[in-house]
Amino acid sequence: MTDPLERDSSGRFVKPPEQTPNMPTGADDVHPVGRLLFGWVENKRTPSILLGLVVLVIIGLTVADLLVDRHDYFDFANTVWFYSLWGFGAFALAVLSGWPLGHLLRRDEDYYGEAETRPDDVEADE
Amino acid sequence: MSSLVGHVNPGLVLVLVGILGCLIPVQRVRQALMVATPIVALLLLVFAERNTDLAVWSVLGLDLVTYRVDSLSFIFALAFLIASFLNAIYALHSDDRLQDGMALAYAGAAVAATLAGDLMTLFIFWEITAVSSVFLILRAGTKAAYQAAMRYLGIQILSGVLLLDGLAYVYKSTGSLELTAFTSLDQPGALFIFVAFAIKAAFPFLHNWLQDAYPKATVVGAVVLSAFTTKLAVYAFARMFPGFEILIWIGAIMTVFPVFFAVIENDLRKVLSYSLNNQLGFMICAIGIGTPLALNGAAAHAFAHIIYKGLLFMSMGAVLYRVGTAKASELGGLWRSMPYTAVFCIIGAMSISAFPLFSGFVAKSQTMSAVATFNNGEYMIVWLMLLFASAGVLEHSGIKIPYFTFFGHDGGHRVKEAPFNMLLAMGLAAFICIAIGLPMMGGLGYGWLYDLLPCTTSAVAADVCNVSGVEIKAYNPYTLDHIITQLQLLMLAVLAFMLLKRFGLYPPERPGTILDTDWLYRKPGYGLVKWFGTVWGKVGPAMTAVSGSLAVETFARLEAAFSPRGTLARGGLVNGMAVWSAVLLGLVMLVVLLA
Repeated sequence: MTDPLERDSSGRFVKPPEQTPNMPTGADDVHPVGRLLFGWVENKRTPSILLGLVVLVIIGLTVADLLVDRHDYFDFANTVWFYSLWGFGAFALAVLSGWPLGHLLRRDEDYYGEAETRPDDVEADE
Repeated sequence: MSSLVGHVNPGLVLVLVGILGCLIPVQRVRQALMVATPIVALLLLVFAERNTDLAVWSVLGLDLVTYRVDSLSFIFALAFLIASFLNAIYALHSDDRLQDGMALAYAGAAVAATLAGDLMTLFIFWEITAVSSVFLILRAGTKAAYQAAMRYLGIQILSGVLLLDGLAYVYKSTGSLELTAFTSLDQPGALFIFVAFAIKAAFPFLHNWLQDAYPKATVVGAVVLSAFTTKLAVYAFARMFPGFEILIWIGAIMTVFPVFFAVIENDLRKVLSYSLNNQLGFMICAIGIGTPLALNGAAAHAFAHIIYKGLLFMSMGAVLYRVGTAKASELGGLWRSMPYTAVFCIIGAMSISAFPLFSGFVAKSQTMSAVATFNNGEYMIVWLMLLFASAGVLEHSGIKIPYFTFFGHDGGHRVKEAPFNMLLAMGLAAFICIAIGLPMMGGLGYGWLYDLLPCTTSAVAADVCNVSGVEIKAYNPYTLDHIITQLQLLMLAVLAFMLLKRFGLYPPERPGTILDTDWLYRKPGYGLVKWFGTVWGKVGPAMTAVSGSLAVETFARLEAAFSPRGTLARGGLVNGMAVWSAVLLGLVMLVVLLA
């Protein structure tokens, strides 16, 4: 916090900047609540740990699937790995299609002469 | 409730107060009115008598039922009013009379249209939604917004004109404007009305107005727009076209195609617009199935969707408001500055992805079950398409939106958290997403939502449920096998995301314009019109001169022949004609006598 007795170059007293609860504070301008809730994402091992956790959950779900008597309407949906494979395949297909589709459909931002879309009611800090 | 108050359409109250709000210059007074009016309207709705005509106006010999509540209209009107209340809170930071007023009038028009008991009243409020909502785009103040607003207004008015045509046909053939379900598209007016609804529901090839206009609206405007127009169309389809099997396929296509566009789109508000299209597909598909379970699924999905889609638009609006952009390529790492917004966005993302304990799970599962069991599994392909789309939703709304905004690469933006009023609106929306998604625990949980569904019990069900004598079974989404299979679908999709990111196979977010079918009218179509304009500009004057001189000459000749002083009026010819007429008449009589 600025010293309340600090003077500026002309010798006048400088009012300390107003602190608002929403303003990021602390190291690296990180919001304290952000640090508390999401600080762990900065850890380099986090992606690997998350991947491990997801794999563990999937193994657990597979075991549970083997134990539970499912009664889906379609017979093929009753097989153990159906939903897993469908989820993985659908997601991968959607994402990987982005490569060719991007080449095919992406044009310059000003293609329609409408590059500026920032509305007037934005009060960005930057 | 007094007799007078009980007969006032709550939507009309919102429309009138909204128009009044445009004239109130004092921000706090105006906004207090904007927040309080939906609450008053909510009370009017909750205490309204069901299944009876509450207000009838006789105009030009027509009896217009301007207020009628049944179990189908109730849940849609309720969702609209809750959204209107949340939107008013979300807009408190902004001092914009026109936006405040038109947002309320727009919501009111949607509510009033939902509670309309005849086609003419529906048409009137249908048009008010179009006219009032366009200001939410115009107020963005950019050239792009102005042009998108004009395109938006054009197509919305076209929808209204088609609805008017349709209702005229209906009135001519039946003598009634009653809002009853069609049984076939061959009925007079049915096709016009179907297309009118299809435009507002953003059917494939009619959808571009949505992705064109919503991302260019103001921060508040996009949130407001996301709630009403398309869901009003969903309601209208449920009211007038339940069980039309063509809707099953249209809905299925609607769920799938936006997934591919959303993957490559960089503007996250546009991603949400594609996502909106995808979610509408589930509802339209359910209406096409048309069984009580499916109609409940459509209504539950619409209710949940209005809240979680609004929440997602709110979170992206907050980011746009603070950072100045909603483009994925420029964002990232905002958990450092906007952690509350991040939490609310994640709740919206988990809801739309249908994770257990969130609203999307209890809503979407009814539609999936209804599609699977309909006609002995006849629509297996459709069911697989919806299952594909469920994984697609997780990609664009469940992961892409929060990941590229709040996590991933740090965009270096160090901004303030969203204003308190925005956080409050997001917090309330997030609360609803969880409250109606939980398993039944005491008075809380999905049962609160399920009790409001249109086909819950035969006693209160709307006409469209067609359930007389049919036992409507209670639906429980929280069965062990359902939880396991849904989690398998989602967790393997999450695994796919992790692996694709890890191996560099996830396409990077790049700035650019993604071409959609609107390219046809925005480039070749516009070019053709422009070419005709240029040609006419050059040829027009000469053509006008030629046609003008031809017209003058033709008129002079006609006048010379037929005027009182003209050739044909002279005695000789008239006498001659009389002689020739007598000769011809004599010949005809002779032929007749001989025959």
